[in-house]
Amino acid sequence: MSYHQPPMVVVLPDTTEQVSQVLKYCFEQGIKVVPRGSGTSLSGGALPLADAVLLGLGKFKRIREIDFDNRVVVTEPGVTNLAISEAVAHAGYYYAPDPSSQIACSIGGNVAENSGGVHCLKYGMTTNNVLGCEIVLITGEIIRVGGKSAEASGYDLMGIITGSEGLLGVITEVTVRILQKPETARAVMVGFAQVEAAGECVARIIGAGIIPGGMEMMDKPAIHAAEAFVHAGYPLDVEALLIIELDGPGVEVDELIRRVEAIAKGCGSTTVQISASEAERNLFWAGRKAAFPAVGRISPDYLCMDGTIPRGKLPEALARIRDLSAKYDLRVANVFHAGDGNLHPLILFDANKTDEMQRAEAFGADILRVCVELGGVLTGEHGVGIEKRDLMPEMFSDIDLNQQQRLKCAFDAQGLLNPGKVFPTLHRCAELGRMHVHAGKLAFPELPRF
Amino acid sequence: MLASWPFLNSRGFEQQGVDTLKVRDAKDVEDAVQAAIASEQPLEIIGNGSKRLIGQPMATNALLDLSSLNAVTSYEPNELIITVQAGAPVADVQSLIDSRNQQFAFEPIDTAPLLGTANQATIGGMIGAGLAGPRRIKAGGARDHLLGAHGVSGFGDSFKAGGRVVKNVTGYDLCKLLAGSWGTLAVMTEVTLKVMPRPESERTLVLRGLDDASANRTMTAALGSPFDVSGAAHVPGSVFHVAATELGDLGSPGEAVTLLRLEGILASVVHRAAALGKLLAPFGAAQVLEDAASATVWSSVRDVVPFAANGALGAWPVWRIVCPPASGGALGERLARDSGGEVIYDWGGGLIWAALPPRPDAQVALVRQRVNAVGGHATLVRGSDELRRNVDVFHPQPAGLAALSERVRQSFDPKNILNRGRMSRNSAT
Repeated sequence: MSYHQPPMVVVLPDTTEQVSQVLKYCFEQGIKVVPRGSGTSLSGGALPLADAVLLGLGKFKRIREIDFDNRVVVTEPGVTNLAISEAVAHAGYYYAPDPSSQIACSIGGNVAENSGGVHCLKYGMTTNNVLGCEIVLITGEIIRVGGKSAEASGYDLMGIITGSEGLLGVITEVTVRILQKPETARAVMVGFAQVEAAGECVARIIGAGIIPGGMEMMDKPAIHAAEAFVHAGYPLDVEALLIIELDGPGVEVDELIRRVEAIAKGCGSTTVQISASEAERNLFWAGRKAAFPAVGRISPDYLCMDGTIPRGKLPEALARIRDLSAKYDLRVANVFHAGDGNLHPLILFDANKTDEMQRAEAFGADILRVCVELGGVLTGEHGVGIEKRDLMPEMFSDIDLNQQQRLKCAFDAQGLLNPGKVFPTLHRCAELGRMHVHAGKLAFPELPRF
Repeated sequence: MLASWPFLNSRGFEQQGVDTLKVRDAKDVEDAVQAAIASEQPLEIIGNGSKRLIGQPMATNALLDLSSLNAVTSYEPNELIITVQAGAPVADVQSLIDSRNQQFAFEPIDTAPLLGTANQATIGGMIGAGLAGPRRIKAGGARDHLLGAHGVSGFGDSFKAGGRVVKNVTGYDLCKLLAGSWGTLAVMTEVTLKVMPRPESERTLVLRGLDDASANRTMTAALGSPFDVSGAAHVPGSVFHVAATELGDLGSPGEAVTLLRLEGILASVVHRAAALGKLLAPFGAAQVLEDAASATVWSSVRDVVPFAANGALGAWPVWRIVCPPASGGALGERLARDSGGEVIYDWGGGLIWAALPPRPDAQVALVRQRVNAVGGHATLVRGSDELRRNVDVFHPQPAGLAALSERVRQSFDPKNILNRGRMSRNSAT
């Protein structure tokens, strides 16, 4: 899946006022606009269009205010995720959501995509960690939503802007909340001879009332790829590996590690390693964090999927993915945010071979269908973008999608912002606003309906 | 009024009184809303009606009663989710999840004491009002715990939002809008909520005699520590004198109390209580409340019991002010002084409950001016019908934001059928 498309023209504004002027001009001229941060989206959310202005927010890279008393940072959208944590680290604070691309991805993009990360099991996604923003509508109108308060007045527009994939407005400032770093963090690495046992272990940990800082799972191909790449000391004779991080005061972490270890043994774990130092904890994570590039080394190309399923369905999902792997004759390596049921199957293929890319894409689409079938969703953290746009009807009815598009109309009635993303078919707002169907039904109230 | 609803009568709807439509299932809701659209009769949506006294008085002709939609559809403790119909009583659902040592982490407020109603809150109202308790500072609000919803929009369409998993970015996050929308966007029929493990133990540090500004600084210091404070409240001494009230197991301390809550496994809360006590030593010595005693105090804070309708201040209008937490102390102190009222602080100063002496305008100008100055917002949560008719119950927004919000509302309910006028005096007609 290659997302390459040169834009019609690139605009790099410095100020909110300039963003406003550019959008106003485009609105008046009926020109499409694609907003873009660092361009690290995995679903093509910021992919330029041949007939659209590409509005880059790269010059918005100043942190405007650090307010420790209110535990917030007010920042421009082009600042990277990691830079926010770095700016407040000296006072013991950090910004919790930590997508793998945090060194490069921008906070504006995080808001647009509602980015997650390894630690969102305990600390939430972007939407749970942003308090306000300044947003410019396609008309050029500048609106402030929320602020330093825990919640805003009226409808939760911040909640709807977060994860809207650049379709509702252009974010020019974000207020995020920051947290104190936990006193300590330690990781437990547990190997299992069966994937089912690892899945059971995840369920029992959660069932025991333990919410780890992170709980990750890798299957055998992923373990081998990661170990060959970073030599993290992963056991190679296991079918599944869990990395479970506990954080908090030392006494709490020690106690929870004892409980987790007992649960793991009760589930038939074959290996248990507990990090004894910060260096060892980082080493445990190094393999997991490098899983994508590690897989990149063993295959010319790979496709990274991102479905979510109920945690209890992990073994079933894996079995289904194995069957699909045989059907499409393509290898797959699985890494999961197991704690919240977020799967990242990596489909290995070679784009230079006839039809492998098509097969990989069909395989990926089937995996997402399985996720929906098992009670899950199409995307847990990467967004719909253009990648999963055409799969939206797998999860939503026409009526569901119409309601979402009506909301789009409230922000951008002409559909000029980031068109072609998220929704498989676009309707004119006037069409969506009608209620003709019901008027027809009500004309014959006496008729039975089934 | 029966004649207005011929379509519904033909389906054998149970119609209680002249204008109450008691629905039996989600299909009834769809039919009722469609009929309301066709006859252009706005509906007031209720569960048990426990929060009917909050909001502008509505311009509605009929009640849509969801109290019969009260089933728990599914509860999966290991998945940390529960799916429940909107009319289910909150208390019943809470005791169900409590039996599995789980809870709604956002600590929903029971508004019954404050409003003086006997009606039991329902899940739909809990989400629609979105009123979170003390733990909001750590666990987020109702909006952070609503994973999915089925509902009927003002188009008469049954639609779904979100899903049944904790991590989901598929399409717009409509759940965020539904939470706190006071029934003005859609009639929720079923919701999927995140549940979280109930902490094994809790401790509350009690500091006494602090003025509001010092208490605010104390709470800021506690919340800026790594000790994971899950509640930070302050009740000024005058509240105990004027309201002649008690605060859970603390009784009537007679002087100001500043409360800081720690929750988790026993070893952890004991460690953190000691460490936090040490950190806060410059502000005063702390008494420690354990488990049940701590829980009782926090439920009084959560439900604003000192301002209860059956108490000494029961006739006073009550404002709920949300502001940047570090501004709370100064804002509350001056507001109390200048209005002659009483205040209680929660969320480390970010939430102020203000009971003001009765006046025809609830001192709206003073409240809003002070609150605007710090970038907060104020909602009148208790006031007579007449008072609520005469003032903006919800905080007025800047023109651009208000217009956008109104377009959002229209994108769900263009004919203004659902809870017409509840959130805005301008949309009452």
